[in-house]
Amino acid sequence: MDTLNYLIDGFGVALTPMNLSLALMGAFMGTLIGALPGLGPANGVAILIPLAFSLGMPADSALILLTSVYAGAMYGGRISSILLNIPGDEPAMMTCLDGYPMATKGRASDALAISAIASFMGGLIGTIGLILLAPILAKFALTFGPAEYFALFVLAFATLGGITGKNPIKTILAATLGIMISTVGIDISTGTQRYTFGVLELYEGIDFILAIVGLFAISELLIFLEEHATSGRKMIKVGKLSLTLKELLWILPTTLRGSILGFISGVLPGAGASLGSFISYTLEKQVTGKKGDFGNGDSRGVAAPEAGNNAASSGALVPMLTLGVPGSGTTAVLLAMLISMNITPGPLMFTQNADVVWGVIAALLIGNFILLLLNIPLVGVFVRLLSVPQMYLMPSVMMVAFVGIYSISHSTFDLYFMIVFGIAGYIFRKIEIPLVPIILGMLLGPEMEKNLGHAMILSDGQWSILWQSGLCKILWAIAMLGLLLPYLVGPIFRKRIRAAVAEN
Amino acid sequence: MSFINDRVFGLLMFILAVAYGWGALQFPEPFGGAEAVGPKTFPLILSVILALTSAYLVIKPDQDLSWPLNRSGIDILIAIAILIIYTMLLEPLGFILATTMMVTSLSRLLKAPVKNAFFTGLIGSVVIFVLFNYGLELTLPHGLLELR
Repeated sequence: MDTLNYLIDGFGVALTPMNLSLALMGAFMGTLIGALPGLGPANGVAILIPLAFSLGMPADSALILLTSVYAGAMYGGRISSILLNIPGDEPAMMTCLDGYPMATKGRASDALAISAIASFMGGLIGTIGLILLAPILAKFALTFGPAEYFALFVLAFATLGGITGKNPIKTILAATLGIMISTVGIDISTGTQRYTFGVLELYEGIDFILAIVGLFAISELLIFLEEHATSGRKMIKVGKLSLTLKELLWILPTTLRGSILGFISGVLPGAGASLGSFISYTLEKQVTGKKGDFGNGDSRGVAAPEAGNNAASSGALVPMLTLGVPGSGTTAVLLAMLISMNITPGPLMFTQNADVVWGVIAALLIGNFILLLLNIPLVGVFVRLLSVPQMYLMPSVMMVAFVGIYSISHSTFDLYFMIVFGIAGYIFRKIEIPLVPIILGMLLGPEMEKNLGHAMILSDGQWSILWQSGLCKILWAIAMLGLLLPYLVGPIFRKRIRAAVAEN
Repeated sequence: MSFINDRVFGLLMFILAVAYGWGALQFPEPFGGAEAVGPKTFPLILSVILALTSAYLVIKPDQDLSWPLNRSGIDILIAIAILIIYTMLLEPLGFILATTMMVTSLSRLLKAPVKNAFFTGLIGSVVIFVLFNYGLELTLPHGLLELR
């Protein structure tokens, strides 16, 4: 019953005119960001953080804006999958398989409508799952001591590469680099200067917001210049809607199955939205057997992955909100937002900042309805905006990135730093060093050190406290598994995904 | 097929790990004596992990992705130069002039027609400038266009 009361309070926060219009704006921008290839959700949220920050928004409004963008991006990814056969973002990859063939058969608008409804169902079920699961997990997390937290952070890094990740050693290396960057500045507990080299700007440490914008947005521009994507792509015309209620009802079970699977893989560490949509799709293919026409424009092949990835994106918020441990790039960026708003994520947030948490959850529910409304009648607007050529888009994104960072501190020092991070990001991408662990390292590094220190004080300097309790042992075991699994089953998964895409 | 990227990167990271660890050893002892976990403990752990992982990369590197050594490599360098020059000029020239120049030249680099590139930059920067300075009251530099 508590949950219901909190949720009602949350609606009170989310339904203020200001927050409601922010949710609307975020949903619109998110859909656009998701739809445009080359501007992923992590990227889009990243360039908006400095803006939300410098506008001096209260924490609940800022977080509502960014989660709406996040949810919107998951909706938007499908538009370019269906019309261009290019996924707007990574989780939308599976939607290409049946969405594009469906569109070539002249059912583009049906595919868009089906995927919008499936996204809505996925998002809704995912959010309900979040409402049910998050308070329980938060209560459980209250029993965590510093040693458990330390093990949990290790687990977060170990599973970050995901089951489909390539080289776990590179994930660890990237995370270590990120944590190392976070140690620059004055040590909080002793006041010792670390790695500042006497530079005044480094005393407060390196701001992770500029690192995020540099690593994501600027390196994206450089990668884009290298690949020089062709400007003219053939877009399929959107025809008339011929979807019947009967077909919708026929797809419903698929959508439900996809949503539940997606939610589970969103919550689990190391799985994420891409795997959610993949599992939903392949399972659906197996359940319906040979009766389906998968790969040639089966409408269930559009519904399953979309329900899966939207449910997974809500599921991914569970560990982020309750434990302060994000499982994906975009949730890591949302976490950065929280930390810079001076809110410590984790179980205490549910009691100390209940209005923020429940406001965001209520906004997610409302946001899903807004997104459904935006995506069915207004899909034409997005389709038209999709044809904005990259050659104008990319420079404009740069402009927004620079304005955002500049307006936080009004110093060009930060801008140079951001460019350096951009160049580094480009080089990392070429050496296949993942960027998300770097960000996460910068975010979680200080917390990790703090918990290590607390654990050591509790145990009087006995390192064994880190793996003494049963819970610690479990967390360490999962972390080990997270590192080993990519070696064992990763190649199989990757091969399957590749085979499924190639088949198309 | 070559493995040079990971080897060079691994070597550089190994040097960084050693330098970082050595730096941690130079930290002055905190006031009030050493505790179990001082300011250097955590950095030392990190430097060991970085040293191990980078050594692994040197020994077992992944296959290289190729570097763009052609025209697009030069484009990347030009783009970086544009961004650096933009940062240098942002305050002296003011937001509108500097941004128009940055967006125009980047769009040109992406092969947009001159006129469209220029108007994208001009309109974009004026809109952002007006929005920020008058709508949101965050001051962006006026520079040369300062009205007195």
